[in-house]
Amino acid sequence: MTQKSSGFFNWINARLPIVNTYERHLSKHPVPKKVNFWYMFGALASVVLIIQIVSGIWLMFGYENTEEGAFASIEYIMRDIEYGWVIRYMHTTGASMFFAVVYLHMFRGLLYGSYHKPRELVWVFGMTIYLVMMAEGFLGYVLPYGQMSYWGAQVIISLFGAIPYIGESLEIWVRGDYYISGATISRFFALHVVALPLILIALVFMHLVALHEVGAGNPEGVDIEKHLDEDGVPLDSVPFFPYKVLNALVAIGIFGIVFSIIMFFFPEGGGYMLELANFEEANPLSTPEHIAPVWYYSPYYAMLRAVPDKLGGLVVMGAAIAILFVVPWLDRSKAASIRYKGILSKIAMTIFIISWLMLAWLGTVPVTALRTTLSIIGTIIYFAFFLLMPIYTSIEKTKPVPERL
Amino acid sequence: MKKFLLVAFLFIGSQEAVAAGGAPCGDYGECDSFKPELNNMESLQLGALTFINHCYGCHSLKYSRWGRIAKDLDIPEEIFSDNLVFGANVKLGDRMTGSMEPAVSETWFGIAPPDLTLVTRLHGSDWVYTYLRTFYEDSSKPYGVNNMVYPGAAMPNVLASMQGLQILSCKDVPMIASNGGVRRDEMGNDITEEKCGYLKTVQGSGTLSVEEFDEVIFNLVNFMTYVGEPSRSDRERMGWYAILFFVVFTALAYLLFREYQKDYH
Repeated sequence: MTQKSSGFFNWINARLPIVNTYERHLSKHPVPKKVNFWYMFGALASVVLIIQIVSGIWLMFGYENTEEGAFASIEYIMRDIEYGWVIRYMHTTGASMFFAVVYLHMFRGLLYGSYHKPRELVWVFGMTIYLVMMAEGFLGYVLPYGQMSYWGAQVIISLFGAIPYIGESLEIWVRGDYYISGATISRFFALHVVALPLILIALVFMHLVALHEVGAGNPEGVDIEKHLDEDGVPLDSVPFFPYKVLNALVAIGIFGIVFSIIMFFFPEGGGYMLELANFEEANPLSTPEHIAPVWYYSPYYAMLRAVPDKLGGLVVMGAAIAILFVVPWLDRSKAASIRYKGILSKIAMTIFIISWLMLAWLGTVPVTALRTTLSIIGTIIYFAFFLLMPIYTSIEKTKPVPERL
Repeated sequence: MKKFLLVAFLFIGSQEAVAAGGAPCGDYGECDSFKPELNNMESLQLGALTFINHCYGCHSLKYSRWGRIAKDLDIPEEIFSDNLVFGANVKLGDRMTGSMEPAVSETWFGIAPPDLTLVTRLHGSDWVYTYLRTFYEDSSKPYGVNNMVYPGAAMPNVLASMQGLQILSCKDVPMIASNGGVRRDEMGNDITEEKCGYLKTVQGSGTLSVEEFDEVIFNLVNFMTYVGEPSRSDRERMGWYAILFFVVFTALAYLLFREYQKDYH
């Protein structure tokens, strides 16, 4: 490319390494030639990130960040702005799809040990992205200022109050008022549209830089860097362009179909994506019968409710997310991929999936005595999966990992 | 182990049945199902007429604009302004903010009648359709009526003149045995018991028959479903094009992908 490119590109490249960067990170970047569909969700996550940023900017054209105007401005976008409903549903569906693809992306990481040496930092940056996304999603959910926005925010912000000594002042500091009000909406708006997206983009950049430094993994857990050709390119790799781009295009097409079905035919997601109670303006005097988070927080909400003590619940919920950061150091297995791990890892993974799905369901339904017991069991299994990982991954017998992909 | 699992599942099942206790339509139980016909202009127009004549006096549609309804429902502006828009100062671009002062209505009803723009999205069209048909005579209430879906509702039965008197009645129903079947005596006849809480309309007390009244309510709720999300029929129409686009996109991308994949397979 460099030899063939025009004088203009040479001129630019001598001053800004645009061609070199393009070749290093895109056109010639080597990626494992054999991966499966699980490896598509990272690309899809970046597609959703772009959808969220673009649709978010358009939403801001019509949104009003005041206590009196917020709810009405959403209906203004839905009714009076031409195709405003497309933009809005794109953003609400995008929020759920963002979490869906990120959860699948994270699960891929667990399944194939994508965090194994030398990809620990890729995982840690990824987890930080997830943490910021959770905050971003929460802030965004408050902005329409419906009943569930208000009462959901009430529940979450009151968690800060459980922190000893500073709790109460912290709560007021977060809300900017003694109760949730216009002050809360305008600061949440600023954080949702400027602060957190900036952090998110920076983190995604770091996630990718770290990934390109060590190279992408594969479902076999084979280290492709061991066998290089005379140019130092891994033998089991293909250049990113056009091979992986085409691969991603197929995934984007299928994702587009799924996204369209939800966005155009089930934008409320059965009340799990847009909760029906949020079609009523926030009313501080009337508590909804059943306060439930949107589906993507529900496993952690179930854990929060499993603990009778507020501070204890907060600690458990925080620990559940924090423990994900240290997974690269908990897994002692010689094999990265579940395909070559022993039976104990496979059993642990299966129980973990079932209990996580159970927690996700439990977080969306009203509490009963039995459900609380199930939540406690689910929470214990969740932590056991991670805390026992150093033990079961080191005592089990792994299968030999092949040399080549 | 199998036995244990079975018992555990049965236990969870029974607990879940208890937890699910509150039916979606209150004392009525399951709501009657409502399938909107958002492309049925006649139904939407009749529904709009019923809403403006019987509901709009107390309930606003404050997020909706007059002109949008005229346009979406294919009603010529002149006919619309003459027949549906009350008030000389109302312009078609105005929001339908209602005709009653909230302070006044609060003294009348104890609570300001809620805005109904989004009511079908909040409770579901099924719920609204059932609610409007389940008022019954109850002399203990200030307006002489109560509602099965929303017991203690502060709303009078505005459409009573059409529907006529609806009362709660009792009737003999077959007794259900613990195994789920109908209980029978030694002679093989069904054993019945008297159960109450069934709605019954007093014949001839209203201007419409039960079927005609159901149709009025159908049209009304159809209109309210439209108002809840005026772009819904557009959305569902455009959805098919979006899906078609991505199907073609996926097919082409796949063919190209397969072609290039030959290079390294």
